[in-house]
Amino acid sequence: MNDQDAIALLRDLCGAYSPSGEEAEAVALLAERAAAAGLSTSIDGAGNFIGERGNGPATVVLLGHIDTVEGFISPTIADGRLQARGAVDAKGPLAAFVAATSRAVIPEGVKVVVIGAVEEEAASSKGARYVCNRYAPTATIIGEPSGTSGITLGYKGRVGLTLVAQQPHAHTAAEGRSIAALAAAWWTRVEEYCDRRNHNHRTFDRLDPHLAEFHTSTDGFTDRVDVRGSLRLPPEADVDELHRRVAELAANWGDASLSGHLPAFRSDRKTKLVGAMIRAIREDSREPTFKLKTGTSDMNVVGPVWQCPIVAYGPGDSRLDHAPDEHIVLDEYLAAVRVLTRTIVSRLG
Amino acid sequence: MPKCLECDAEITLKADVEAGEIIDCPDCGTEFEVRSVDPPTLDHAPQEEEDWGE
Repeated sequence: MNDQDAIALLRDLCGAYSPSGEEAEAVALLAERAAAAGLSTSIDGAGNFIGERGNGPATVVLLGHIDTVEGFISPTIADGRLQARGAVDAKGPLAAFVAATSRAVIPEGVKVVVIGAVEEEAASSKGARYVCNRYAPTATIIGEPSGTSGITLGYKGRVGLTLVAQQPHAHTAAEGRSIAALAAAWWTRVEEYCDRRNHNHRTFDRLDPHLAEFHTSTDGFTDRVDVRGSLRLPPEADVDELHRRVAELAANWGDASLSGHLPAFRSDRKTKLVGAMIRAIREDSREPTFKLKTGTSDMNVVGPVWQCPIVAYGPGDSRLDHAPDEHIVLDEYLAAVRVLTRTIVSRLG
Repeated sequence: MPKCLECDAEITLKADVEAGEIIDCPDCGTEFEVRSVDPPTLDHAPQEEEDWGE
C-alpha cells in the first residue's frame, strides 16, 4: 500500500460513519481494502475487523478501534490535513496499522494481527473484551493517538459514581435542606476528599472526580435526586475504600455507589517492543517521548490479561479527540506508517 | 563497557541488547537508552510526559 493508497484508506474509512454500535459499514470497507492490500481478513463474533499477515507461532497484535464518538464530520483534505470524525481517535492509528502491515516484510515465525475493535468509545468495550481471551500475543500495540514521536506507556483507570437519594416533598419555605442542596454538598465533599488525597501528586497519580449529570425530580409527594459521575483512578487505587468513603459522605440520607471499575494500567518500558519503537522513531529523525494518559483505552482491558510487552501508538494530537475540528496532519500519519512498518519487522518478544 | 552517566559505575549490556532499549544502572538505578551497540553508547532515557486523551 503506497502513500496515496494509505491516505485514501484513511479518508474513506472516516467517510464510513461508525459511532459505537453502528460499525458494520466501516468494518466491511476496511475488510475489503485490507484484503486488496494483501491481508487475510475476517469479521469476528463481536463484529470486530480482523486482518492478518504471517504464520506465527509468535503473534503481534495491533489493536485499534473502528468506532467513533457521535457527530459526523465529512472528510475534507486541505492544506495537508484531513479533517474528519475519527481522523485522530482512532481511525488514523487503525488505518496506519493496516498500511504498515501490508508493507512490512513479516519475519519468519511471526503473525501480525490487526484488530479494529467495536465499541471502544462505549463503556462496554465490547470488541476488546471479546478478543481478550482469544489471543495470547507476544507483543501488543494499541492504536490510539500518541503523536508520531510519542509512545504511550499507561492509562489511568475509571470507575462510575452514582448517588440516588429521596425525601418527603417539602415546601421551599420549610425548614431543612432540599434534596438538591444535600446532593450538591455531597459532591463538594467528594471533591474535597480528592483534593486532600491529591496533594503533591502528579496528574497520573491523582484521583480526579468528574460530575456528568445532576437531576432532581418530584411527584408532589417525594423529592428525588440522581447524580452520575466518575472518578479517574491512579494506579493502585483502593476502590473498596473509595466506595466506603463516598457512601459515608451520604450516610443516612442517600445511596452512593461505584460501578464499572476499570483499573489503571502501566506497562513496562524495559522491553524489546519499546526499544524497537524508539529505534524506529529515531530512524525517522524524530525524538521519542514517553506518555502517560489521563484517560482510558483498550490497554486497560487487555493489558492485565495478555501480560505481554504493550504500548499505545498512533498519529494525531489527542487534544483533538472528539473535537468539532478533529483533524490529522497527513505527513504525520505517513510518518507513523513508517515507524510502525519498521517496528513490526523487529524482534518484539 | 559503558559507564553510568550519573555514578560512573560500569554497566554490562546483555548479549542480545539492541539500540533503543531502556536499561538501568545496577548501582544507582538511573535509566538509560542504548543509543548504539557498537560502540556501546548510552544516553538518558526519554522522560515521561503526562497527556490528556482517550
